[in-house]
Order: sequence, then structure tokens, then C-alpha cells
Amino acid sequence: MQYKWTSRLIIGLTLTFLIGPFLIIVLAGLSAGEFMTFPPEGISLKWYLKVFTVDSFRASFALSMFLAVFGTIAALLLGVPAAYAISRYDIPFGETIKTIVAAPIIVPGIIVGLALLRYLVVPLNFTVTLALFLAHTALVLPYAVRVVSASLNNLRSDMEEAAVLLGCTRLGAFTRVVLPNIQGGVLAAFILGFVTSFNQVPVSLFLSGPGVRTLPIDMLSYMEITYDPSVAALSALLAFLSVIIVFVAEKFLGFSRYV
Amino acid sequence: MKNTLAVAAACSLIAGVASAQDETLTISVYAFGVDAMSEAIFTPFEEVCGCEVVIETGNSVERMAKIEVNAADPLIDVAVMSTQDALQLAEQGLLQPLDVSRISSYDDLYPSAQDPIGNHHALGYGFYATSIVYRSDLVEIDSWNDLFSDELRGRVALPNITGTQGPLTLYMLERARGGDDLGFEATIDAIGAHGDDFVTFYSRSSELAQLMMQEEVIAAPAGRFAWSRFAGAELPFAWAEPEEGQAGGMNVITMTAGNGNEDLAYQFIDYWLSTEVQTRVAEAGLDSPANMRVDLAPEVAEPLTYGADLINSLNMIAPADIIANRDAWLERWNENVLN
Amino acid sequence: MALALPAAVFTALLFLLPVIILLSEAFAVDGEWSLQGYVDFATTPLNQTVFLRTLKLGFLVAFTSAIIGYACAFCIVNLEGKSRGRIFGLVVLPLMISPVARTYAWIVILGRTGIVNDTIVGLGLSDTPIRILFTETAVFIGLLQLFLPLMIISLVSSMENLPRDVISAARVLGANWVQVFTKVILPLTKDGLVMGGTLVFTGSLTAYITPAILGGSRVLMLETLLYQRVNVANDFVSAGVIATILIVMCFAANLLLKRIAKARS
Repeated sequence: MQYKWTSRLIIGLTLTFLIGPFLIIVLAGLSAGEFMTFPPEGISLKWYLKVFTVDSFRASFALSMFLAVFGTIAALLLGVPAAYAISRYDIPFGETIKTIVAAPIIVPGIIVGLALLRYLVVPLNFTVTLALFLAHTALVLPYAVRVVSASLNNLRSDMEEAAVLLGCTRLGAFTRVVLPNIQGGVLAAFILGFVTSFNQVPVSLFLSGPGVRTLPIDMLSYMEITYDPSVAALSALLAFLSVIIVFVAEKFLGFSRYV
Repeated sequence: MKNTLAVAAACSLIAGVASAQDETLTISVYAFGVDAMSEAIFTPFEEVCGCEVVIETGNSVERMAKIEVNAADPLIDVAVMSTQDALQLAEQGLLQPLDVSRISSYDDLYPSAQDPIGNHHALGYGFYATSIVYRSDLVEIDSWNDLFSDELRGRVALPNITGTQGPLTLYMLERARGGDDLGFEATIDAIGAHGDDFVTFYSRSSELAQLMMQEEVIAAPAGRFAWSRFAGAELPFAWAEPEEGQAGGMNVITMTAGNGNEDLAYQFIDYWLSTEVQTRVAEAGLDSPANMRVDLAPEVAEPLTYGADLINSLNMIAPADIIANRDAWLERWNENVLN
Repeated sequence: MALALPAAVFTALLFLLPVIILLSEAFAVDGEWSLQGYVDFATTPLNQTVFLRTLKLGFLVAFTSAIIGYACAFCIVNLEGKSRGRIFGLVVLPLMISPVARTYAWIVILGRTGIVNDTIVGLGLSDTPIRILFTETAVFIGLLQLFLPLMIISLVSSMENLPRDVISAARVLGANWVQVFTKVILPLTKDGLVMGGTLVFTGSLTAYITPAILGGSRVLMLETLLYQRVNVANDFVSAGVIATILIVMCFAANLLLKRIAKARS
């Protein structure tokens, strides 16, 4: 009994610490005043509504969406075959390849952004959007490989062997047997990649151009202009969006198994 | 007559071709109040020129970096910035000297705005005073030295040395201490000795405003352009008129070298500096006019830095002095204040 | 091999190569190969302070999150199936929220008029509000909140593999809770600890927003210092040095923790 209460207390305090600030953001966004306050000064929806009227938020939301969706898809196109090769075949330099692909996790994002700006955007005339796309793809790639590998490892390889014996080509075996079975893993990788890319800050810090700015960077530059509660409101809206995506994923896929 | 018409037609044809090629003008401006600036300047200008104005914002360092990086093929046609940033870019050959005969209101500018960095590389478009914003219900500020007073300990924020307001603050603190060393050594050391008494060294006036609204900070030096953030607040804020006077600065408008969009750029600069637009900008409370012919009602002028007397009384640091000393300031600051 | 190659080539060419060039800039002072950039960096007092502060905060955040993480993960693992999933979901949730939003909230919470100070003054712990914003404490709190979920997740997944009865067996055999932890739980969950520790430590070293917003220029960390060197001083040599230090620290932490994990078993 005593244990039960201690346990509840520990979990309760930890969750308050982890989630409390988010609740405060939601409420601060409801403030009727001109500044971030908690408790809010009066209640109003005006900041939540204002979010939709700021042009730069719309543009940067579109860019971040684009990067998150297509960057992740690109990462999966590169990552799924890589994960398959790594987990199924004893390929030469397998460890090296793994290390290279995993490197973006350990290289601090700010350095990546700066490096891409200085050596791709400036001398090679890559557009900022392209550089962002490449950076986000590379960043998501390790997650894609890891999550897809994990679900490939749970799949017995004799199923494909059987398919091949029964006359399937290797590709046919992959698309008909392997892919349907790792669907969940691929989708989990997609969601993880999406969220990682969407919330990414340091990489994009140096990568911005005229009218080209990811949403988190745009929020930071908005805060250079004013600390009004619309950033809180926008944060809350984005969080709800993420929560819905994750909730749906968890409901249908048991997403947290892969994280 | 016929000739004139033909020339005019040819001109408009050329102009037509030019504007078809360069129908966009890219302007790099401060991020603060950009929506209101669009309303007062950029959107009406689009109608005048029949072109599209692209706005590029960011903090000064980012904006300058973008001009440097794209020097060979400028993305930005016109940029507004501080005098020292303009001088630095001019010294790198990134700005072009302006042909002031193409600026119709040139003679109406305050003399100090007519050639602030030399070679007509820039024209002043707005002045600002820098003084101390404080909570008049809690403290009284009569001197820059009051920032070091015991009653303010732990409640003062200073502008960061890396911004424009930082050096101006050091300049006035140096004077208040009776010194006139542009190296600001004693002043920086004094700030270092009181290091923990300052809440933070802020970089953005938006951040300062939030800190003052949540009563973290009750006094801080700030540019007058940020005053609108405080003037309308419920808390009682006041603008100090210290015995040593107010510091001040000027923002300038510049044109990048070799942007290939000069006609439109001149048209835009001329438009911005005209009495009509300068008045509109002032009445919207966005910038204090550099055009002497702007005539403002007292209540419009109150939040601004307006009038020859005030403008001539501002303590400004020459842009060349800022450039010559700032590395040393930063080094000493990093060593004795941040460390 | 052919299947894995595009991914490796992509990352190597478009990601690692630019980064390596950037790092090499730290060795090129005035166009010549030299270690002067490193010497200058290391002999500047502010850089030393920032380096030690970053290391200290990274360690403190990792250590604290391990303590809270163990307590919390232990409680979660012992919950019933359904509420366990729910609580776990709530722990994962903050990871889905933009770090901008999560950091932003602390400005209000930790301010003089925020709830933390209201509580401190209300409980009579201090007569006047205490300054938390723009101190190392503020950055510590922000980082802990940002990365604690990663530690909890890592520990929960390694504790799930813990045989249910080992703890009660150890208790029956007369071990106290400290012994149970050091002799039973710790050795069996060290993989999770290493994983979580690496994630939290490297995350804290390379976080940008938290030190930028909650520390300001008063509490620089390596990442904010790098940004300042590039943006204020156009100093790419220092940027390269800081970048190298960060990468080396991240790798070293990873290797060291792995080594410790192996040595214990």
C-alpha cells in the first residue's frame, strides 16, 4: 500500500515536470493580455486566431511540412533498402556503412547547418530549400534505418526464402512478403522521422533565405519581434497536431514499441 | 515635341523592359514592425512602381552575412541597417555610392543624415534616442550611474555588447563616470565587477519587454524605437532624461553594389525619404523622421525622436570609432563580464 | 551492398563531407595548416569557462535524469498493463512537442512572478523572489525537462526484460533496497542506462534553444558560443574548433559509457 502511494507520487511529480510546462503554454496562449503570463490575464481566443493570420507562419508551416513529409520519404527510400541489406546480408564494410549512416545523430545540428551553408549553398549555388531538404533527409535516415532494421529482425528470413523457392524473384519476394510484414515499422519510422524533422531547430538555424524559413526558426524570429502569446498559441496547436498523429499511430500500430 | 515624345516612349519602353526583367525589388529590413512598415511603405510603393517588393528580415548579423555571401550576384537590392554595419559593408565594397541627384528630397534631410558614412554610401532615414526605460512607481532614474545603484541591484538588464544599443550604453556609462575613453575599459570592468547584479544582457527589445512586463527587470537602457512596447502597458513605465543626456543613433538606407536593379532601387529610396512617406511612417509611430520638412503634431511626435533640438543633442558614436574598437570591446567584455 | 550504398553515399557526400571540411577549417589559420586555432581557443578564459560549464551541465543533467529515470521507470514497469501504456504515452508525449514551445514556457514559470517563485515565497523558503532565469539552474531545469523522457524510455525498455521475481528473490534473501539496486537492477539494466545516458548527455551538449533562451549571453554553452562566434565575429576557426570539441565529446561519451557497460559484465 505504501509502495503504491510512493509510486503514484513519483510518477505524478515526474509527469507534472514533463507535461506541466506544456499545459502552461496552452493556457498562456489563451491570455487576453499582450504578453506571456501565467495565470493568463483574462481568457480570449484572439492569439489562437492570430496564428492563422500571420503570413510568415503559413509559409514556414508549409516549408516544414514539405521537409518533414518528403525528407522522410526520401530517407525511407534510401533507408529501407539499406536496412534490408544490413540485416539480411553479410555485406562488405557493413559496419562502416552503419557508422556512416548513423553519423548524423551524433554530429551537432548547428554544425551541419553551417557546413551545408558554407560548402553547398554558397559555392555550389544549392538553394536553401534544397540544402534543408538534404539535411533533413540525412537527419531522418538513421532513424529510418534503425526502426526498419528492428522490424526486419523480428521477421523470419525463411519466409522470403520460401517465396523465392516458390518462384518469386528477389524483388517480388521483397515487395510481396517482406514489405507487407514490415509495414508497421516503416510507418513508425515515418512518424518518428516526421516529428524529428518538423521540430528540428539547430540544423535550420543557419539555413534560411529570403522567405525560406522552417517553422521553429520562424517562431524564434517572431520572438525577436514580440513575445506576444501567439507563439504560445502556435506551440500549443502544433503540439496538439503531434499528439493526434502519435495517438492515432499508437492506436493502430502500437507505435511506442519502435521508439 | 515629337522628339521628346519619342524619347519618352523609348524610355518607357526601356523602363518597361527593365521592369519586366526586374519587376521585383528585394529589400532587407529590420524584423521589428515589418507588417506596419509594409502597410506604410512597401505596399503603397508596389502600386507606384508596378513592381513586387520582396521583404527579407532577420537580425542585423544574419542580414549582413546574406549580403556578404551573395556579393557576386546580390539577392538584396536595398538594405537598411545601422551606420556602422553600413560602413563595414561599404569598406568591403559591397555597397554602391548613391547618386544623390536622383534623390529628390536629399536637401530636406538633416545634415547629419545626408552623408553619415562618407562617399554617399548611405543616407539616414530615421533617428532614435537611447536612454533608460524604468518603472516609475519603483525607482527614479536621473543619471546613467543609477544603473549601478543598490536599490536596482539584481533588477537591471543591459543591452548586449554585440548589438547596437550595447556600445551606446557603454558610451553613456563611460561619460557618467567622467571618462572619455572609447575603449570603454574601465566601464566594462565596472560592469564585470557588478556582473551578478545584472539580470541579463539582452539582445532583442522583445525579450526586454517580456522581462519588464513580468517584473523581472525594472530598468534597462533601450532604443526609443522600442518605446511603443512600453508606452501602452498597464505598468507605469517612464523614459529617463539622464543628466548626462541621451545617446542616439541613426539608421541608414543603402544600395548593394552591382545589383542590376538600380532604377527601381533609386525610385524606392527616393520614395522612402520623401516628405510624404516620412510623415506617414512617423504618424504610424514606426520611425522618427530624418526629413526636416516632416511636420508632426505634438502627440504624434511624443513617442518619437523628433525635432532638431533633440536630434542635435543626441550623443552619437562615429561609425568608424565603433568599427575600430568593437573587437576590443567584445574581447574585454567576454573576458571580464561573461567569464 | 548495392542496396545499402545509396544511403551511405548520400550521407557521406552531402552530409559528412561538408562537416569534415568545416572541421578542417579550424586547422587553417591564415591559409596555413596549424594548430594555432586550437591553442588560441584553449587559452581564452571565456572558452575554458564555457567548455567546463557545458561538460558540467551535460553531466549533471545525465546524472539527475538517471536518478529520476530509475525511480520513474521502476514505478512504470510495475504498473498494470493498461495504465502502464497510458503513463508511458504521457512520458513520450513531450518528445513530440517542439523544443521551442517547451523552453518558452520556462520563461514564465521561472520568472520572479512565476509559479516557482510564488511557491518559494509562499512557503516562506525565501522572503523575496529568487533569480532563476538566466542562471545555470534555469538551463539545467530546461535541459532536464527536454531530455528526461529519453532516459525514462531507455530504462523502461531495459527493465521490461528484467525477470519479475529477481527483486523479490533478492529481498527474501535479505538484501536491502540499496543492495537490490546496485547488485540486481543496475547490472541488469545497464544497457538502457548507457543508451539513455548517451542520449541525454549528447543531447544536453548540443542543445541550442534552451541555453539560448534560458541562459542568454550570461550562461553561454558551447553551442550558443559557436553561434555567437559565427554570427558576431565571423570566426570560422573557433566555430570549427567548437564543432570538433562537440563531436569528440559526443563520441567519447558514447564509447566511454559502452566501455563501462562492458567492464561491469
